[in-house]
Amino acid sequence: MPDTSGLETPGTVTGPPFPPPGRAPEAVRRAARRRARVVVRRAVRFAVSLAVLLAASFAMIHLIPGDPVRTALGPTAPVELVEARRAALGLDRPLPEQFATYVTNVLSGNLGTSFITSEPVGEVIAARLPNTLALALLATLLALPAGVPLGMWAAVRTQNGRNRGSELTFGSVTGTAVAVPEFLYAIGLVSAFAIGLGWFPPAGKAGPITYVLPVLALAAGPVAMIARIARVETLRELGKDYVRLARAKRLPARRLHLRHVLPNTLTATLTVCGLLLTSLIAGSVLVEFVFAWPGLGLKIVESITQKDYPVAQGVILVYGAIVLVVNLAVDLLLGALDPTSEIREQS
Amino acid sequence: MIIKNLTVRFGDFTAVDDVTLEVPDGQVVGLVGESGSGKSSLARAVCGLVPYTGSIEGARRVQMVFQDPYASLNPRMRVGDTVAEGIRARDRDSEVKRLLELVRLPAEVAGRYPRELSGGQRQRVAIARALGGDPGLLVADEITSSLDVSVQGAVLNLVRGLRDELGLPMVFISHNLAVVRYVADVVAVMHQGRLVEAGPTEQVVGEPAHDYTRALLAAVPRLRG
Amino acid sequence: MPVRWSGPAVAGAVIVALMAALAVAGPIVWGDAAERIDAGAILQGASAEHPLGTDNLGRDLLARVLVAGRFSLALALAATLIGAVAGILLGTLPSVLPRRAARLATGTVNALVAFPGLLLAMFTAVVAGLGARGAVLGIGAAIAPGFARLTQTLAATVAGADYVSAARMLGVPRRRILSRHVLPNIAEPLILNLTQALGGALLGLAGMSFLGLGVQPPSFDWGRLLFDGFSRIYVTPEVALGPAAAVALAGIGFNLLGDALARAAARTTVRKAEEPPAPPAEPDEPDPGAVLDVRDLTVTFPGGSNPVRGLSLTVAPGEVVGLVGESGSGKSLTAAAIGGLVPYPGKVTYGRLHLGGRDVATLSDKELGTALAMVFQDPLAALNPALKVGGQLAEVAVVHEGASRAEARRRAVDRLGQVHLPEPERRAAQHPHELSGGMRQRAVIAMGLMGTPRLIIADEPTTALDVTVQRQILRLLREVVAETGAATLFISHDIAVVGQLCDRVVVMYAGRVVEELPADRLAEGAAHPYTRALIASLPGLDTDRTRPLAGIPGTQPAPDQVGPGCAFAPRCSLATERCTTERPELDAHGPRQRVACWEVS
Repeated sequence: MPDTSGLETPGTVTGPPFPPPGRAPEAVRRAARRRARVVVRRAVRFAVSLAVLLAASFAMIHLIPGDPVRTALGPTAPVELVEARRAALGLDRPLPEQFATYVTNVLSGNLGTSFITSEPVGEVIAARLPNTLALALLATLLALPAGVPLGMWAAVRTQNGRNRGSELTFGSVTGTAVAVPEFLYAIGLVSAFAIGLGWFPPAGKAGPITYVLPVLALAAGPVAMIARIARVETLRELGKDYVRLARAKRLPARRLHLRHVLPNTLTATLTVCGLLLTSLIAGSVLVEFVFAWPGLGLKIVESITQKDYPVAQGVILVYGAIVLVVNLAVDLLLGALDPTSEIREQS
Repeated sequence: MIIKNLTVRFGDFTAVDDVTLEVPDGQVVGLVGESGSGKSSLARAVCGLVPYTGSIEGARRVQMVFQDPYASLNPRMRVGDTVAEGIRARDRDSEVKRLLELVRLPAEVAGRYPRELSGGQRQRVAIARALGGDPGLLVADEITSSLDVSVQGAVLNLVRGLRDELGLPMVFISHNLAVVRYVADVVAVMHQGRLVEAGPTEQVVGEPAHDYTRALLAAVPRLRG
Repeated sequence: MPVRWSGPAVAGAVIVALMAALAVAGPIVWGDAAERIDAGAILQGASAEHPLGTDNLGRDLLARVLVAGRFSLALALAATLIGAVAGILLGTLPSVLPRRAARLATGTVNALVAFPGLLLAMFTAVVAGLGARGAVLGIGAAIAPGFARLTQTLAATVAGADYVSAARMLGVPRRRILSRHVLPNIAEPLILNLTQALGGALLGLAGMSFLGLGVQPPSFDWGRLLFDGFSRIYVTPEVALGPAAAVALAGIGFNLLGDALARAAARTTVRKAEEPPAPPAEPDEPDPGAVLDVRDLTVTFPGGSNPVRGLSLTVAPGEVVGLVGESGSGKSLTAAAIGGLVPYPGKVTYGRLHLGGRDVATLSDKELGTALAMVFQDPLAALNPALKVGGQLAEVAVVHEGASRAEARRRAVDRLGQVHLPEPERRAAQHPHELSGGMRQRAVIAMGLMGTPRLIIADEPTTALDVTVQRQILRLLREVVAETGAATLFISHDIAVVGQLCDRVVVMYAGRVVEELPADRLAEGAAHPYTRALIASLPGLDTDRTRPLAGIPGTQPAPDQVGPGCAFAPRCSLATERCTTERPELDAHGPRQRVACWEVS
């Protein structure tokens, strides 16, 4: 029999007189405080970013070389009109006062008036924003369930460099799909399915069928992008010890991948989801242009071309605010979902 | 050198809590403790790598040797350039040669890149680099814990040789009490940021005064028979 | 770092080369054709004379597409350079500025990165006005944050490296640290990323021009040609196809090449596949008393590397066998091979691999999953961070034994109690990160007890733990073995731990067993020179401090560099001519001891 004197009597846990640090109620409270601090920090970051965004959108008009009103109205416009417009915009006031007025106005929902149509910018945006959001959200909802399983499947198939052929095919197909910009997908879809085959209307928004082509054009690239990221994340997880242990337990492959690996790729997937949504909102500008979709994107292109600065300013501000809100939501969601997020926050 | 009332805080976590410790001239002080005991934070404070409160007196030109010999050498610099980094003398080449000889490495190693060396060899290069800075104190942080046992002995012998030949005072940090006992003249035991016991090696190992030191000693694995 | 020239990478390189050639030659060859106005051929569709049709002045669109390549690429290059320079400067700021300002710079970059490039580009375009200049500045502004973030991340990684700390302590000036340590280590990935950025800029500029916000007539780039063509898409769709194809091709080319280049930065070499080794000789009679009976186990990796070579061992019920060796000895791969966990492309062959008297290949998942318990080095990594401890334990019972959830959970809590985890009920409902290191390892051991373990494989289970915790875990293992009667294979680099815990010790060197002996004979009766040297190198609490510590000169050979003789011969003080040419077999050396050495047997 082996000598176990050095190991003390089995069955008792006397251990050293210094117990390992457990999670006393104090520790739990500390963790809760830490969580609260994280939320506060995120909120502060959001507020600061919003302030910077406001300042930037205010500065936009002032950064335009020369007189923006003169630039917008053209060299032939009468001096009186230009002066009247300047006064209406408050451009003749001192800068700090202008900024204060601008911030007050924006916060109360007043985004100014269009140079061209004299409509309130707030109303223009309110009418078009839902159309843009619908496109972006539908595309996200399409891209996620298509891309994640594709990427996971590719990862399982190509782990540790097996099936080099599949890896190359996956790499080049998704690499190509990612590289083609959304407006080319849009043009391709329009020429093939609207003009060529006549299955779908080529432009405009009238009923569910008109959503099909714009959403497809918007989602094509992201599907490939998500699949690539999901593959990398899955590969990373597959190499970890808990997967080895699950394999040693001889768990069925389905259970291993869906119950063990998938939840651990969630963090990355969610982060991507946020980035994706914001990039889709920007990408929708081009897709809206191709499909003459009555969204914000079409409006901003129009306003920039026509030098309708109040509209451009308002739309960029709204786009920026959407980006900030989406990022805040993703951050908070990550903190709530991921059991280890408080640890990550420390480091 | 003497460390007085040294405290290191990271946020609201106190890594080192009011530690006072003397490193006598020409002696090796072995700092032992488990993970989270604060021994590495103490070392980094002595080297000026982390902010601290308290005072460190008489520690001029402190140099450090790190745990991971794969991360502590710039992969894009030749060994000779790495060793030469801290050398102030005019004749760098012969100084590099002398330092490599001091750590028992052949001179031709100077032309190689770290990836061509074994872990033990890299650790010697790191020691040579530290010696090039003409240190008044050498801090060795777990320098053998990523080495194989068969290589560890040579590095420990080198550490002892440096003390004997150069009279170089040293803080030698390790989680392994047997290793510390072998190289150190004075042993200091840390636990949860505090210094619980310090004294001459034979005394601390032979007649430990603190319960924690006794627990550590009892846990050292021993061959039977 | 060599680039792997796979199909897509080659395709990307070819396309990029063609684009470069087009940029140089396009305007020279087709310049006149692109500007030739033909009032008789206005707004035509595709024809033999004009394959892509003509524009509103009757100019040939194919020629215009070919000529526009230079302008499109030049603009993209300009935007990329602006973006890269601005981004790298912005990204370097935090490492030069004082702390507060540095944090501000980092914060700004982080905020900007979150904004879609097109938004930044439009903002800049509004300010700078319509036209190529505004678009280039805009796309440059859109690229910059990404580069800034990359520079920051890379620089922060390098700045936190030990070699930078060492240089700082040596008094190396800041500028020199930047030029010698930081820049060389971040330059390569930055340069590799330029290709991808160039592709992105090209697409971004095409998008701006397509929206009518970029290049204005009479200048034209691909995006502008697409803008013109798009207005005619209902009548003559082919006029939009030329510029669209050019943009798509360029985007794909730069992306594929950029991908290959970026991947070259972080990659492990893939070795060629090769013939499997010859099947091992007919094994002798199986050992009826052993739970684990391994004969001639070999693990082969492509490229002629054999980390485990013809290894044989047996473990009896209730016996703890220690497998000891230094890094690279093949001990962990042996454990993985027995557990069926050798990663692709490793190949496992064996004369016999029996668990409880049956070939493991014939055992069902259910039988193996409940009979085999494994414990790894890092208990935090071995537990799934996303799942609660109790659920991970219960799984085995649910999957393999069809237990109900409640029953499985009850058993999980019971097993957690069995490994002396305090408050097992509460711990079961926690996530792994809420447990201490020792508790986690207890939980992993408890997981192995969910079935009816016949074999426990513990691969360095205490290496990541503190010595006081190590002691508790070793005691627990002993206890578990006594209770279950499982055969246990305990793998460790630490011969003292093995000597203390195990009944029998198997010493590995360069993929082979060199000695096998009862653990209590280690101190006095070890025969192989390697075992003896290993024990002598180990400082203990009674080592003579006045004498130098023993060591072994040289290093263990890599798995693909083992010669025909005894692998230890080059480092052995007893080695003779015969040792280097002829390999000694593992032969009996006294009772219950076997040694593979010419000089001691």
